[in-house]
Amino acid sequence: MSASAVFVLDLKGKVLICRNYKGDVDMSEIDHFFTLLMQQEEEGLVCPVMSHGNVHFLWIKHSNLYLVATTNKNSNASLVYAFLYKLVEVFTEYFKELEEESIQDNFVVVYELLDELMDFGFPQTTDSKILQEYITQKGNKLEVAKTKVPTTVTNAVSWRSEGIKYKKNEVFIDVIESINVLVNANGSVMSSDIVGSIKLKTMLSGMPELRLGLNDRMLFALTGRDKGKSVAMEDVKFHQCVRLSRFESDRTISFIPPDGESELMSYRINTHVKPLIWIESVIEKFSHSRVEIMVKGGKEFLMRAHFGLPSVENHELEGRPPITVKFEIPYFTVSGIQVRYMKIIEKSGYQALPWVRYITQSGDYQLRTNS
Amino acid sequence: MPYFGSEEMVKELKRALSNPNVQADRLRYKNYITKVIRYMTQGLDVSALFMDMVKASATVDIAQKKLVYLYMCTYASDKPDLALLAINTLRKDCADPNPMVRGLALRNMCNFRMPGMTEYIEQPIVAGLRDKASYVRRVAVLGCAKMHSLQPNTDIDGTIVNELYALLRDPDPVVVVNCLRALEEILKDEGGVVINKPIAHHLLNRMKDLDSWAQSEVLTFLLRYRPRSDDELFDILSLLDSFLQSAHAHVAVATLRLFLQLASAHPAVQADALLRTSAPLLATCGAASRELRFAGLCHVQQVMRSQPGLFGTHYKRFFCGYSEPTYIKFRKMEILVELVNDENVALVLEELRSYCTDVSPELAQAAIAAIGRIARTYSEKCLDILTGLLALKQDHITSAVIQTFRDLVWFCPQSTAAVCQTVEACVDSPQDSEGKQALLWLLGEHGDQISSAPYVMEGYIDGLKTELSSAVKMELLTASVKMFLCRPRILRGGNVEESDVCVRDRALLCYRLLQRGVEETRKVVTGPKSDPSMSVLTGRQEEPISQWASTFNTLGPLSGRGLCLQTAVISAADQPSSSAEKELLPDDTEEEISLSLGPPLSHETFEKMWLDLEILHRQTLGFPRPRTAPDTLQAALQLVKIQTLAFTPGDTVPWKAYIYTRSTGTLILAELLQGDQQAPGSDESLVVSVKQQPVNQHAIRGFVSILKSVLQTLNVDSS
Repeated sequence: MSASAVFVLDLKGKVLICRNYKGDVDMSEIDHFFTLLMQQEEEGLVCPVMSHGNVHFLWIKHSNLYLVATTNKNSNASLVYAFLYKLVEVFTEYFKELEEESIQDNFVVVYELLDELMDFGFPQTTDSKILQEYITQKGNKLEVAKTKVPTTVTNAVSWRSEGIKYKKNEVFIDVIESINVLVNANGSVMSSDIVGSIKLKTMLSGMPELRLGLNDRMLFALTGRDKGKSVAMEDVKFHQCVRLSRFESDRTISFIPPDGESELMSYRINTHVKPLIWIESVIEKFSHSRVEIMVKGGKEFLMRAHFGLPSVENHELEGRPPITVKFEIPYFTVSGIQVRYMKIIEKSGYQALPWVRYITQSGDYQLRTNS
Repeated sequence: MPYFGSEEMVKELKRALSNPNVQADRLRYKNYITKVIRYMTQGLDVSALFMDMVKASATVDIAQKKLVYLYMCTYASDKPDLALLAINTLRKDCADPNPMVRGLALRNMCNFRMPGMTEYIEQPIVAGLRDKASYVRRVAVLGCAKMHSLQPNTDIDGTIVNELYALLRDPDPVVVVNCLRALEEILKDEGGVVINKPIAHHLLNRMKDLDSWAQSEVLTFLLRYRPRSDDELFDILSLLDSFLQSAHAHVAVATLRLFLQLASAHPAVQADALLRTSAPLLATCGAASRELRFAGLCHVQQVMRSQPGLFGTHYKRFFCGYSEPTYIKFRKMEILVELVNDENVALVLEELRSYCTDVSPELAQAAIAAIGRIARTYSEKCLDILTGLLALKQDHITSAVIQTFRDLVWFCPQSTAAVCQTVEACVDSPQDSEGKQALLWLLGEHGDQISSAPYVMEGYIDGLKTELSSAVKMELLTASVKMFLCRPRILRGGNVEESDVCVRDRALLCYRLLQRGVEETRKVVTGPKSDPSMSVLTGRQEEPISQWASTFNTLGPLSGRGLCLQTAVISAADQPSSSAEKELLPDDTEEEISLSLGPPLSHETFEKMWLDLEILHRQTLGFPRPRTAPDTLQAALQLVKIQTLAFTPGDTVPWKAYIYTRSTGTLILAELLQGDQQAPGSDESLVVSVKQQPVNQHAIRGFVSILKSVLQTLNVDSS
């Protein structure tokens, strides 16, 4: 992939921190980045890849920061973006909020992280769990040479260290489904799908072997049982800890979990779901100084709003932002997916408790309005 | 960066760092070091503290070490002599019992980008390659590449290369991938790392242990490998099969690329791979990060070049979200245009119609252009929508619709009648020059079908004085001539004094043409009324996969093409009349070229290029060199953006001058010569020889004519 250098800029284009990994692109090239960006913004044609001479800028924006990678090669663009987002992820795990202030407050750690995440333009150790074992935010105040390379850096199981201990062995499983719905102005559902994700919070000692059972339709078909409701999942993606070969062969989800919080898997369900929440809206413009908006949500709510507006009128077109719905329904999954079991086996033989929680929430839930 | 009071600050820090009391208090000492790094980060020059910082590196505190190393790397190239002093400490750290310290020291030492580093880092690198800690080996392997990049022209060290090849078998996956990366850099000139059969299969078997970055890169390296037999090929494909559906989009796409390449002789396998990757690709198009979504869309577009039907049923995935950035919406619209079929056309058009009234005029215009593209196949439905849009009476919409009409008529002549009817009924006229040009073209080309055309045009002729755009004026001229030909009674002369050369030339041309008689004019001005190469249905040809597979999953698809919908409008506007004119315009109306100076050329560069290039044009100018002072000549040429590189002084015979300039992407070099015995015709007159890179005859003609007029003017002045 090879990124030549990575920069973090504030909203005015000032470099907050940078790391020259390869030395094959002049660091002052970054001065062109902001000029180009401004130029494109003026023309309304912003693009995540910009070029100046033979230097390409691949950039993302996160809160009040720009993260920019420069390269002079025809690199793999998705890989560079994925890396920039990885930076955001790692920094966020370190500083809770990634923004200008947190970069300035923590520049020492940022330097340390940038040093470990990438070398000579190539990603090295990018797992924040592992990084956290040897780059501790507060802990390195004069701990004399205590920092050792954690075993995980070289471990066969790279996502989990050995020798983890808990008094009480528990694992929390969250099944979260987000509904994406797009309804057009005349009330027909343009698209709808469910994106599910299973998250774990593992507090288990040692190197436990876990097996997760779901009411997966493919699995039921394989084992020949058709009792109860099953769910057909698409685009199933797993955390690297899940043994893909086993899933491929017999749909078993078996793994050694990372410690603490992690996303075990995600899936998508493409079946047409009836929108859980329906909204009708009428927006009427009576004259150029009065607008009435009526929003009718399901059975219980009706909102009627009048706006008395100043009579100064803008000649430009007004946008018609859609109505976005946000909601969360606990103890329920739209798709009907269920955790049938979670088996936990560790060689020390301890008993561990799995806890399951279901949540359905709004994803990109939009109803377009008529005006 | 000059910064008020920064010198004071540096002095103060220096005092503090060298204060034995501070040094004794480790926390305070470290705080000062942190302060130095903070200033460095803010862009202050703290390089004066180099010596004090080197001293601070002798510590057991790793965090402090890291800070000092960072400082040293930043300023090493500015202070190479002082940096050498730091090397001792670093080399000592390379032998530290703690692998973390060894790794850190080695990595940072390799990051010193200054000459002469090689001799100091070679030994620690070689030792690092054999270190028992993989953390150090990772660093050492990339260190080899860094060492090579410090001295790119030296011979490749065979022992290191062999050692790196051997380390491909290292148990640590990152070491393995780093070896590939390092070898690729070191062997760049020889075509990169060699992937033979044992290496290829070794890598394939290690794929599972690698992290997603490494997987992606190994897949890219494997593109180099050619299986010996079909059996081997299918073995490889089945090993890689599960990666087609990897959770990481970049791995899935990299696998797809490898599949496409390996199976280039098996179209069925390719098609199957494309089909199975379509799900992950689609998922990327809905990714949470907009940049990845954008990359996904660009790759979908590439795939569609060969398999237009692959995403047909998923067209709803390409509907734009309200808050998506414009660059994503543009791509989605392009894809929607390609995906239209009998079943979904109604819904797609309805969707596009809703974008036409978007707040962003660029987006609205692009949506209108998209509808125009679909109109080539589904004219009736689209014309209804476009006509409806005119009723909104929004300037930018009207303009875009008229432009779309022009393109539509050009590509799809059977819609002409309907378009003319609409144009006739359209009350609003476009306000921007693009729209005006389109309307004028329609009026000129199809004036016979638009009864109000002469009156509309008259309005434009009356408003000629206030019209600013010369492009509109030229279009108006051509349109009026065409109009005159089909409906002879109306045209009224409107040849106002005009300052723009192009417009004046066009007017003169029209005038002279008309003097030659109507028939003659008709022959020249009226070209075909539609694109003769277009069939009725403009379905896109399916391209072979090999056309795009080589740039798949690189930067290419993202930046290679501009915004397609917009450029389509421009290229479609390549009108018949003007191309016919160009053929008839040999020399008398030389189109203007513009010269520019650009960055100066060094003498060496000029000399090298002059020796390398052939003479493209030689001309005897027919007058001697101007007898002006050298300064005057130089200044005069500079005025027309021709740079003088060198000339012989005074009255030396032969007299020579070397000049250069740039024009529309080419570099023109020229020699002026007088009084050389060997060059015929040069004794009385100047001879100009022109070389150019890249070749553009048009630019040469323009250049010579400009040069001629300058020299002539100087001759007149001096005589």
